[in-house]
Amino acid sequence: MLEIRDLDAAYGDIRVLSGVSLSVGPGEIVALLGPNGAGKSTLLTTIAGLLRPRAGAIRWQGDDLTALRPHLVVERGVALVPEGRRLFGTMTVEENLELGAFAARARHQRAAGFERVYALFPDLRDRRRQLVRALSGGQQQMVAVGRALMAQPALLMLDEPSLGIAPRLVAAIFAALAEINRAGVAVFLVEQNVQAALTLAHRAYVLESGRIASQGAAADVLRDPHVRRAYLGPLAVSRA
Amino acid sequence: MIARGERRWALGILLALVVLAFLPLAGPRDDILNFVFLILLSITLAQSWNIVAGYAGQVNLGHAAFFGLGALLARTLWIQGVPIVLAMVAGAALATAFALVIGAPAFRLRGAYFAIGTLALGEILRTTVSNVLPEISTLPAATIAGYRLTHRYYLALALAAASVVAVAALAGSRAGLGMQAIREDEEAAEASGVGALRLKLTALALSTALAGFAGGLFAYYHISYYPSHPFGPHWTFDALLMTFIGGVGTLQGPVLGAVLYVVLKEYLAVRWVDFHLLIFGALFIAIVLLLPGGLVQAQHAIIRALDRRRPR
Amino acid sequence: MSVLAQQLLLGLLIGGLYGLAAAGLSLVFGVMKVLDVAHGELIMLGGYAAFFAVAFLGLDPFGSLAVVIPVSLLFGAVLYLGLFAFVVRADEETRVKNSLLIGFGLALAFHALAVRLWTADERSIITPYGGSVLMVGDLAIPLVRLLSLLLAFLLIGGLHLLLARWRWGKAIRATAEDWQAALLTGIDVRRAYLLAFALGTGLAGAAGTLVSIAYSISPAIGLEWTLKALIVVVLAGLGSMIGTFVGGLVLGVAEAASAAAFGGAYREIVGLVIFVLVLIARPKGLFGR
Repeated sequence: MLEIRDLDAAYGDIRVLSGVSLSVGPGEIVALLGPNGAGKSTLLTTIAGLLRPRAGAIRWQGDDLTALRPHLVVERGVALVPEGRRLFGTMTVEENLELGAFAARARHQRAAGFERVYALFPDLRDRRRQLVRALSGGQQQMVAVGRALMAQPALLMLDEPSLGIAPRLVAAIFAALAEINRAGVAVFLVEQNVQAALTLAHRAYVLESGRIASQGAAADVLRDPHVRRAYLGPLAVSRA
Repeated sequence: MIARGERRWALGILLALVVLAFLPLAGPRDDILNFVFLILLSITLAQSWNIVAGYAGQVNLGHAAFFGLGALLARTLWIQGVPIVLAMVAGAALATAFALVIGAPAFRLRGAYFAIGTLALGEILRTTVSNVLPEISTLPAATIAGYRLTHRYYLALALAAASVVAVAALAGSRAGLGMQAIREDEEAAEASGVGALRLKLTALALSTALAGFAGGLFAYYHISYYPSHPFGPHWTFDALLMTFIGGVGTLQGPVLGAVLYVVLKEYLAVRWVDFHLLIFGALFIAIVLLLPGGLVQAQHAIIRALDRRRPR
Repeated sequence: MSVLAQQLLLGLLIGGLYGLAAAGLSLVFGVMKVLDVAHGELIMLGGYAAFFAVAFLGLDPFGSLAVVIPVSLLFGAVLYLGLFAFVVRADEETRVKNSLLIGFGLALAFHALAVRLWTADERSIITPYGGSVLMVGDLAIPLVRLLSLLLAFLLIGGLHLLLARWRWGKAIRATAEDWQAALLTGIDVRRAYLLAFALGTGLAGAAGTLVSIAYSISPAIGLEWTLKALIVVVLAGLGSMIGTFVGGLVLGVAEAASAAAFGGAYREIVGLVIFVLVLIARPKGLFGR
């Protein structure tokens, strides 16, 4: 469904991605792991349309997504939950969610969208008139995921959803992601929390210095000693 | 150091000015002398604005204030009998003093705030002068009788030459390089110890001194005008326009821009008198958006294009 | 005492128009970081449009708003598409600088055009009830100015509602807060810019109409009103239309107070001096976000 071929991306003179190729199939949960600065966020940003790649192709459901402006990418069914959430702090939970359904594909399904989000995150229903900036980090993350869901995406991309969030809420969010996936939405997840990500995902890629270093089924990647050493700490290796 | 290309330009321009010094000897008509005078005054005005914009990276939208202050004091003193050169020096000193008093705090403002702050400042001065001195300033009959255009002409030449030399010296000096650094990236320059504020104030002082001198020249040249007239924003805009057309931050840019502007304006004034400001406004906008480096940028682009075409 | 109160009242009445003038500038700057220093010229043009709408179409002076506002909205859209759409292609810092330069040039061009078309004379729209005055105790409230204030308030209120309830109003607010997040949410940010700029121009046109009715217009008022708007925006900060309106009222009253204290000739200057002093005292900017 999502096919990325030989993608090169750069910020000014700094090359961030080199020849990246990967794919996300319908109904899959795919994780993207890697150290800080590897280019994971850049990859998501490029797919979402905020950054134009220097070379390579991004194909989504057969169409070329490469030079499309971000709001049109959302129209096509690809929604990004950006790093740091990037919510509209001066607006309420409800307004943020409502804006999530701005795209034409989602505009007439707002009511259904709200129901779905509140079913996944019951906390938000009670807080829907509250200003978003008054919420905790975990609740804000829920709003961010909800906002992206309101766009009725076929592919949901998330950039470090667990960053800075209490573990209990991380578990809740990941559970919600599993449920979203069960309903048919593909998920492409960039995560530092390798354990949680690989438990949830079907497949995974590892990005290092702008290139794909390894890939495979999530369970296999979890067992890979290099991955364990690099991302799960010394204890993890001995437990293998 | 000052780029080799620019050094050549500096010498070329100074040479041209030397040649122009002989113009009055050829006995031309007054209107030709007036025309060249206007170009020379414009060169000075444009170069003065260029110093702060091009070398210190700040947009001064109240530049006319310094032009006006120079004119005001110079005129007042000269009419009282002070020799014109001295009067002009006093005018320039007033302009510079005012700039430094306001400039030190004002330069703490980042780009936009400095621009609108100077805009407000210019308007404050214009309105104040307009209220305090509403009557037209005219020269006494004796002075009018003794009016020599050639005196004004040579002063204008000297001033234009001085402005070019000032910019050349600035660009080539350590101070100038420091300013370039600030213009490119203020924070990085600060971090590397460039002493931004001091450099900016130097640029401001030089810029406003030149503007003040130009104002004094204006006061010496015109027989009668409203004292608030030289404080009007269109003088600032003229300086902006000429500098942008030619190329901000270059030595030759303001000179080219001034020549082009005055020549074009004369031509347009003959046929399209009412629309020349519209045309220049449109030209300015086009340049800001499409060719921010002005003629100099265009020149470099053409040279590069020709280079590529040259058979190997 | 009542003379002072009268002065302050008059200051309040014009303050509402300052607020309206600032609202358009604030909206545009807040949303797309374009500082249109030609805003005052748009007000001036709006005033002339109203003047001629009344003169040639025989409209009621306040009724001319029904013509001037749509025309201004359209003009704003055209101005955006033809000019400022290109300015917003650059990053924020360049945008601000370019909009200042271009706005400055535009202001002078519009001014020259106005002088050419309509001469430098002052004009005012005469209303049949022009001289009427409402007496409240010792205070004489000029009816026309009171109506202008009320209309200004209504327009600001309307804008506030538009931004709060209208789908695109919310999109505009979202874009103002975080344009990248807005894009990721599916909002066509360029269209939000277009709408915001058109609205800003519409507000300018309305302000110009009210100025033309309650006071007078001439080509020279452009720069004056740009500065008033800038002062209010800098003092009141961005983000709240109501806050901007109140800021305008404050400026009006402050001007009146200092005119009473120092004499009328310096009324204009006081606001500007306060402006420069405030700018200098808070160098990191008052556009606190």
